[in-house]
Formats: sequence, structure tokens, C-alpha cells
Amino acid sequence: MNLNVEHLSVSFGEANIVQDVSLRVSNKQFVGLIGPNGCGKSTLLKSIYKVIKPRQGDVFLSELNVLKAGPKAVAQKLGVVGQFNELSFDFTVREMIAMGRTPHKGMLETDNQEDAELIAAALRKVNLEGHADRSYNSLSGGEKQRVILARVLAQQPEFMILDEPTNHLDIKYQLQILNIVKKLDIGILAALHDLTLAAEYCDYLYVMKEGRVAACGKPEDILTKELIGEVFDVACETYRNPVTGALGIAYLQTR
Amino acid sequence: MQTDLAVPSPPKPSVLHTRYGFMAVIGVLFILTLLSAGAAVSFGQVDIPVSQSYRILLHHITGLQIGDVQELTSGSFVDIIWKIRFPRVLMALFIGAGLTLCGTIMQAAVQNPLADPYILGISSGASLGATFAILIGFGSMGLLGQTGVAFWAFAGAVGASLLVLMLASAGGKMTSVKLVLAGMVINALCTAFANFIVYFASNAEGIKTVTFWTMGSLAASSWDKLPLIAITILLAVILFLSQFRVLNAMLLGDEAAVTLGIHLGAYRRVYMILTALITGVMVASCGMIGFVGLIIPHLVRGLVGSDHRRLLPASILFGAIFMIWTDVIARTIVPNVELPIGIITALIGAPMFMYMLIRKGYAFGGKS
Repeated sequence: MNLNVEHLSVSFGEANIVQDVSLRVSNKQFVGLIGPNGCGKSTLLKSIYKVIKPRQGDVFLSELNVLKAGPKAVAQKLGVVGQFNELSFDFTVREMIAMGRTPHKGMLETDNQEDAELIAAALRKVNLEGHADRSYNSLSGGEKQRVILARVLAQQPEFMILDEPTNHLDIKYQLQILNIVKKLDIGILAALHDLTLAAEYCDYLYVMKEGRVAACGKPEDILTKELIGEVFDVACETYRNPVTGALGIAYLQTR
Repeated sequence: MQTDLAVPSPPKPSVLHTRYGFMAVIGVLFILTLLSAGAAVSFGQVDIPVSQSYRILLHHITGLQIGDVQELTSGSFVDIIWKIRFPRVLMALFIGAGLTLCGTIMQAAVQNPLADPYILGISSGASLGATFAILIGFGSMGLLGQTGVAFWAFAGAVGASLLVLMLASAGGKMTSVKLVLAGMVINALCTAFANFIVYFASNAEGIKTVTFWTMGSLAASSWDKLPLIAITILLAVILFLSQFRVLNAMLLGDEAAVTLGIHLGAYRRVYMILTALITGVMVASCGMIGFVGLIIPHLVRGLVGSDHRRLLPASILFGAIFMIWTDVIARTIVPNVELPIGIITALIGAPMFMYMLIRKGYAFGGKS
């Protein structure tokens, strides 16, 4: 399933948060979205998954016109791991994950054996087996994020959007979440804040600055010290990590 | 993996969360509701043996004759049970179920554990309407007596809640904070008007009626008032039982709900208007009965969890049982005096609420 975003612009009142952004995620690619705080990453993602109404532009998931289609039709194809994961009322872990089945269910339809199996499989995938009956609000940040990921897995999406899924997590859980997502073998668009992780996991990167796409390309091609300096306003040197062979970035304090 | 999970785990959710545990809870609650409705008619100014009450009810409902026919059809207790107490007990059952239902829906719709059926200014709007009808009256408009009070209480309730909804959605998106604040403002305004009327009224009997009304009572229940309440509540229960997925999504918040395919804006508005109408009907027929719609949802959430496919049926039954017995207490605790039921619901409800605040494991929606 491909994602095509065409000339998307979002404004809040007078302020143009996202300006004429076009991007494309082809089949089963892992595409990263990077940029400094306030560059419009989250707003762009939210307008793709229908929480914010863009001023103009189109979004297509293969043939599906996301902005014109009903939320249920979109939710059957598109899963979202967002940043809005605090609850005002508590649920158990299993109940939380079961809600991933919502878009596939009619109003009166109850959960069947197949749903139960999908929920169990999702629990297994995020390594939370045996914790199905715990209360969600009692979990740690990393566990909560994994529950949300499991909910999206139970949703069986054909495309997934992640908005800084590794925020505030220990490195172990950052890697764990990215590994699970990477193995899914579906199209992924993820806003990430760690550049080295983005370089390591993403097939392609879009760099945003002040609401526009400042650059795009393969990580090794575009993550240069010039671009990082310009977009993130930090001095750095890039190098090949002698241990992993991956791209390394050394931030320099003097500036 | 285990390091992060090895932290001392908070109390595990009870077995009632499981499928069979839940079925058992519903079964027990259902039987208790039926037993309560049958038993509650035995209590009152005149105590009637429970077995006889059951036989009289069974005879009237199914035609079944157990024991002396004479005693079942024309005995002295028959009129008391069938004409006076049973409609009242049924009224308590429906009002209890309805208030709990509306409270649960409101708590989900505004995502706020403090919400109750009266949150949209319904209480003060209804009070204002009733005060107006009782103390000033609408004789010239041909609406007299109790019907007039009920009608104006309903009108006041619905009027106030529409005002609150309009106020909360004026100037952009309706948020739950704006809703709660708008409810407070309209409450204050309506209360001020109602107090103004009471202050200048010289009608002592009328003022007592107003006071009694604002504390709620099922004393005026009768067979001819029952159908409106029964049909309203039954339809509401059927409708909202089918909405458990939307209600669950509401607890996740607007954004997560959209990603699960549910756009909450329209649902929230419709739920609130429906809840306001249902509560208006209830308030019009039995005044303001506080605490039930606030506390029973929390209590039952502590038992079966927040998932509405369990929470709704369990809390509706629990609310019905609670109301039946608080009404029994209201009409028997002081001999020869009919207490307003609102006093009893608060006297029982407040300690239950305190217990839940003290007890660990249920955090009223907050973090545990």
C-alpha cells in the first residue's frame, strides 16, 4: 500500500504550520520524517490521519482518498501510534488492545475467536504476554507505548503512521519498538527525533523545516553536516561508526 | 524484558473482569433486581409478609394462584401492593437504572469522572421551571397542578442543557472543560432566578413543595405515570447498550478515537442531547435525586472495569437495585413520615464514595 501526500498545507488562523508538503511512501518502505521541534511534523501527520483538517492538498492510501473517505474506512487500512496515550478512565491491557478491532466491527458485533487470537498475537509480538489483565494506567511509559503498538497491530493495518513512538523511552525500548515495526513488512511513515536511529532504520527520509520539506533522500545521502547544521542549528561531524558501520553523528558544542 | 515488568504490581483486576465472572455478576444482579422489586413492596407503613407480597404480585402478573384466592384478589393488602407500592417500586427501578445510565454516558462523553446526569445545568434548570410553576403558576395557560410542574421542570431542564451546549460550543471546539464551566455558569444563573422567586414568595406551602421537589421523591408514582418513564428508559438502555464501542473510544480521547475510525464530535453531541432529554423526563416525574448517577458508575467500574459492554449492563442493574432499596428506606425509616429520597441517596452514597476514595485500587480515572 502506497501513501501519497500531495501539496498539503495546514494553517491555524493566520499561521501556516505546514506549507505545500508532498511526500510519498512506496510499498513496504520505512520512511522517516525528521526535523526540529515545531517544524510541523506532528501537524503534518495529524492532517494525514484525519485529526486536523488541512487547508488544501490531498492524501491517498493507494486508491483510497483519505481526506474524503469516512474515518472507519481509513481506520481499516491505516494504523496510528500517536502521542496521546493518557487515559482518564482505566482499562486493562487486554481491553486496550481489543479496541484495535473497532474499525472492523459493526455496532452490535461482539469479539469472536479470531479477534481473541489477534489480540493474543499482538500481546506476544510486543512481549507483554501474561500482562493482559493488568491495569493500563499502572504501566510504565515503555509498557504503555508497547500496549498502544499492540492495539495498532490488532487493527491489522496495511499502513502505519508513528508520531515519535520512542519519545521518553529508554534506549532498549526505543530499539524494541523500531524492530517490531521494521519487521511488519508494511508501509511505515514515522516521525523520529533521534537522527542516528532514523538513519539506521529508515529507507528514506524527509527533512522538515518551518513547515516545508527542506530535503529528502536516502539517509546516507542527505544526513550531511551541512544539512544538519542548517536544519537543526547544531554543529556536527558525520562519520562511519567503526563498530556498526552505520552513520554516526558527533555533535560539537562550540557554536 | 523482565526488569521493567518486575516492579511490584498493583492489585490485579478482580476475577469479575473475566468473561464467566462477568456473566455471573450480571446473572446475580438480574435475579437480585427481580427479588428486590418483589420484596420491596412488603415494606411501608403497613408491613406485609414477603411471601404474601410475592403471591399477590405473581397472581396479578401471571394469573398464577398460590394459596387462598380470596386473599389474592380482594384482601386488604391487595390494593396497597398492587395500586400503591408496586408502581412506585417499578418507578424506583426505572429511575435508578436511568440515572445510572445517564451518569455513565455523561462521564464518558465529557471524559470526566466528576460528571453526573445533572452536569449540563439540568438540575438548576429543572428547579427553576418547577419553582416557577409551583410558586407563580401558569393557571392562565391551562396547565395546572402536577402536570404543570412536571412540564415546566422538563422544559427548564432541556432549556438549560441546550444553553449549556450552545455556550460550550460557542467560539470554536466544544471541550469538556468548557462544558463543565458552562454548566456551572448556567447552574448559578438558574439558581439565582429560582432563589429570587422563592425569596419573594409568600406561599409557605408552595415553598415546602419546592424544597421537597428539589430533594427528589417517588411518592407521586402511579400506574398512569409509569409508561412514559418505562418506555423512555427502556429505549435509552437498548440504544446505549448498542453504543459500547463508541463509548469505549470516547474514553481514549478524540484523537485516538479517530484513528480507530470513530469521529466523536457528532456522537458526543447526540449523546448529550439524548441524556439531557432522558434526565429531563426523569426529573419532571420525581424531582432531583442526587448522587445515584455519580456514584453507581464509579462503584461498578471498580467491580467490572471501564469496558462499556460490561459496565453498562452491570451499572444499570446495580442502579435499579440501589434505588429500590433507598426508596424503601425513605418511606420506612421515620414512622409515618415520607422522607425525600435525595436525603437517603446522599446519606448512603457519600460514605460509599468515601470508602472508594480511601480504598486503593480504584483511582476514579486518575493514575493509580
